[in-house]
Amino acid sequence: MGGLQKKKFERGSATNYITRNKARKKLQLSLPDFRRLCILKGIYPHEPKHKKKVNKGSTAQRTFYMLKDIRFLMHEPIVGKFRDYKVFVRKLKKAYGKTEWSAVERLRENKPTYKLDHIIKERYPAFIDALRDIDDALCMCFLFSTFARTGKCHVQTIQLCRRLTVEWMNFVIASRGLRKVFLSIKGIYYQAEVMGQLITWLVPYQFAHDHPTDVDYRVMATFTELYTTLLGFVNFRLYHSLNLLYPPKLDGKAMSELKEEDEDDYAMNSECYLEKLSALSASLSRVVSATEEEDAELDQFPVEGEDTEKMEAREREQKQQEAQKKLFEGLKFYLNREVPRESLAFVIRCFGGEVSWDKSVCIGSKYEVTDETITHHIVDRPNVDKQYINRYYIQPQWVYDCVNAKIRLPVEDYFLGVTLPPHLSPFVEEKEGDYVPPEKLKIMALQRGEKPGMDRTEEDEEEEEDDDEDDEEEEEEEEDDGGNDEEEETEEQNLKTMQEQSSQGKSLQVKVTPGKVTVENKARLEQEEKAEEKRLAIMMMKRKEKYLFDKIMFGKKRKIREANKLAAKRKAHDDAEKSKKKKARK
Amino acid sequence: MAAAKRLKRVAASQPGFLNLKTTLDSVDSSSSRRKRVNKNKKKNWNKHSDINDVEDFLEDVRHQERTTGGLLSEKSDDSLFFLDVGKPEKAEQKEEVVVGKKRRGKTSRPLRIDLILQHDSLVPPAKDVLAYQQPNAKKLRRIAQKAEQLAAKGIVTRRQKRLANRQPLDRKAKKSVTEANNNPARDYYDIWGQESKDSSDPWYLQQTGKKLVKRPEKLNDKPSVLPAVEVIAPGGSYNPDFFSHQALLQEAHAVEVQKQKEEDRIERQLAVNQDDKATEDTILKEQVEGLVVEENDEETAPNEEEDDVAVGAIVLAEKKTERQRKREKADKMKEQQRHSERQQINQQQQLFQLRSIKASIKQQEEKTNQKQKLRKANQEAQKSQPRRLGKLKFKPQDLEVQLSNELAGSLRRLKPEGSVLKDRFKSLQKRNLIEPRERAKFKRRHKLKYVEKRAFREIT
Repeated sequence: MGGLQKKKFERGSATNYITRNKARKKLQLSLPDFRRLCILKGIYPHEPKHKKKVNKGSTAQRTFYMLKDIRFLMHEPIVGKFRDYKVFVRKLKKAYGKTEWSAVERLRENKPTYKLDHIIKERYPAFIDALRDIDDALCMCFLFSTFARTGKCHVQTIQLCRRLTVEWMNFVIASRGLRKVFLSIKGIYYQAEVMGQLITWLVPYQFAHDHPTDVDYRVMATFTELYTTLLGFVNFRLYHSLNLLYPPKLDGKAMSELKEEDEDDYAMNSECYLEKLSALSASLSRVVSATEEEDAELDQFPVEGEDTEKMEAREREQKQQEAQKKLFEGLKFYLNREVPRESLAFVIRCFGGEVSWDKSVCIGSKYEVTDETITHHIVDRPNVDKQYINRYYIQPQWVYDCVNAKIRLPVEDYFLGVTLPPHLSPFVEEKEGDYVPPEKLKIMALQRGEKPGMDRTEEDEEEEEDDDEDDEEEEEEEEDDGGNDEEEETEEQNLKTMQEQSSQGKSLQVKVTPGKVTVENKARLEQEEKAEEKRLAIMMMKRKEKYLFDKIMFGKKRKIREANKLAAKRKAHDDAEKSKKKKARK
Repeated sequence: MAAAKRLKRVAASQPGFLNLKTTLDSVDSSSSRRKRVNKNKKKNWNKHSDINDVEDFLEDVRHQERTTGGLLSEKSDDSLFFLDVGKPEKAEQKEEVVVGKKRRGKTSRPLRIDLILQHDSLVPPAKDVLAYQQPNAKKLRRIAQKAEQLAAKGIVTRRQKRLANRQPLDRKAKKSVTEANNNPARDYYDIWGQESKDSSDPWYLQQTGKKLVKRPEKLNDKPSVLPAVEVIAPGGSYNPDFFSHQALLQEAHAVEVQKQKEEDRIERQLAVNQDDKATEDTILKEQVEGLVVEENDEETAPNEEEDDVAVGAIVLAEKKTERQRKREKADKMKEQQRHSERQQINQQQQLFQLRSIKASIKQQEEKTNQKQKLRKANQEAQKSQPRRLGKLKFKPQDLEVQLSNELAGSLRRLKPEGSVLKDRFKSLQKRNLIEPRERAKFKRRHKLKYVEKRAFREIT
């Protein structure tokens, strides 16, 4: 009466998974087709938790898919198209073999193709989903658009990618959404804010391609196929959100400016328009004739639960962003031949600057070198023969650093032939107590509106720094006792206040001065009181809590110590450099 | 026969008739005897009347018409005769030249089969009457007449209405279907704005395969928590800060060291152990093996014997006496009692140990909590790790690093490091979107055969 015999691998995880080959057979597709289908539909292999059970006792490494996913794939209309394509290829081969050219032509005309629109809609049911996933698409399209047309992939794909990326860049310019730029050795990282989403993408340098052999181009091309469709639809939506025409049209006024008689020198008639668009120098025309942009003020919601500090912080940030958007407004740039034109034009235009270049570089230059109103001339060579007086000759890094610092940095460090300050990554966010490179500290000080000690000599600075180091030990002790009463204050400020205090102390030791009425510093008193309270609180702690507290404090202290060590190292390095330079000069 | 003769006579009596063939007369002479046949039956008329001469005559007429285009007797003399004045010499030469030319151009000469099939009769072909007839002419005429009448009255038929209402055939639509997916001029539309306008029965749509199957929610989860674009460390800047650059170099160095270690380990494992090598001593031993009788064997022998004895003797347990049994039982009881008492006391004592017990429980709980946390953290960390999806393990890309002397001072002189394409590809693998694979190796099915060419052999 024992009922049915239980067999192994007929229930549980063994039935939830399917191997790749079985799935392929189930769908009646070849492996490349299956792979393509999975990529397009967004179905990825899955690693089961208990491989041996799933693999029916075998321990061989296999690729598994969820059975339900494969069942879902079976309903896809594109599968039929893939099969059609297979038949088409077979017929075409046969016709070729028989040298029936008319048949070949007829077959070519009726080549089965498919659209991915429904897949986009299915995978990204809302626009915001698509926008969140656009990073990949952008990277891929920018990458493919720089490919040489050598047959590694379809020329048409390259053209489409180029078109889409140009559209995207024009949108970012129109929306002024760019936030960060980072020139790395790999390529240029951009970050833009579009509809509240931070979008990061990587653009390779031009002409920097060696084609690696260990990359599966077919897979990449399939991803690109999907992403071009996605990016196109996203672009459409974004353009319409800004009341821009899609496909993009250049502004009528700008168009007439660009109209030149020697257009034919740059591109064929059919490509001329895209080239002009990709020049990025002209603005786009809008559906509604350009109205004055009304400044949308941040709505003030009287939320009681939220404290005012946060609100203020947010407002400040908003203001800063607004200021950043107008960073280059009113400036006129001229790009010399040797600088990367597209990247610079894109960045400058994103922040409202005007830009032009040599006629021989690209179509769409607006003004000549001789224009007297040019304010900044971007040059990347040691010296220029003919210099105009009323403009700055700077190196391209200035533009990028300004964008990352969100202010116009002093141009002195970026003049021709000057050793540039390091280009810092804007994607690093330092926590409290981390080591911050001095260049960043300087920028942060500038952001706060402080004037850096430009007139002070370097020696002075060094001395001060020495003093700082001497006092650091004491300061740390103080901090331990008083707890971390200074919140959100940068190290720089710390150091400065410390230095003042120490200098005061020294002067007292040396001199005898007539008595003064001590001015009651209210803020100071308050601070002291707070510190006192904190000390008391620490004293009242239970032993366990005290232990934890000590641990945390120790960790912080260690961090600070490490940061200090790094700073000292840096100083030593700088000194070494300086001495080297001096020697060289002598 | 008589009739035939008569006919012949008739034909001959035709004014101005010229015979083309002259063989007819011979037939007449052969038929001298006359056969008697009843002529009251039509059948016999047909059977026994001789119509050859008429046939011949008609044949001759047809022949003349075919070859000359009419009866010779009706032609003018000019068309039949010409004045022979001998052939002009020049013409002959010319003809020869023409012939020569023709021979050269073989293709211009028509094929013999074509010549045979050519229409060489001068009689024009008979008219095909059917070619001029229209099938259903009457009906069509009637229909046309009716249409005219209706048009005159201003009535539009249903057929015409339908024709007018027919939607124009969409030729462009078909083109868009065949348009390739990567067409650079393709157009996009607002895919998220428009809702599906199909309002027909969902059951019908589902059953006919017109409705797409709903995508499972689970498929929208990403297989990894890693971001799509991982920004390079600050040391990867084209003009990096000294320390971040050093940090990146350090990292790359650590990776290299790890690799080197791995390599060394394998080498060490593969290396020959010095102890395994044959020394002179061992070689000698091997050669002498079995020649020298060893004395040790004798020594070991007696030991074995002793063992045998021990195994062989089975020690029989002696039987217990009654008293012994009783005592054992009593002991056992006593032991049990003591044990239970002890337990009771212990339990009572535990009352006073409550605090320490509580503490230990707390400790245990803390431990489990910690373990749980650790496990959770591990699981979180696992989420960002690449999974094992196939035969091969994921291999991270080599770190892109430029050494201090490779760093370019300016953007112009920057030499890009690594490949963005590879970076993207590895990123896809790292995020578990595709399984790591290796390029298929080329396998030669048949061995190559090397043959020296004769020319080469002559030289060597």
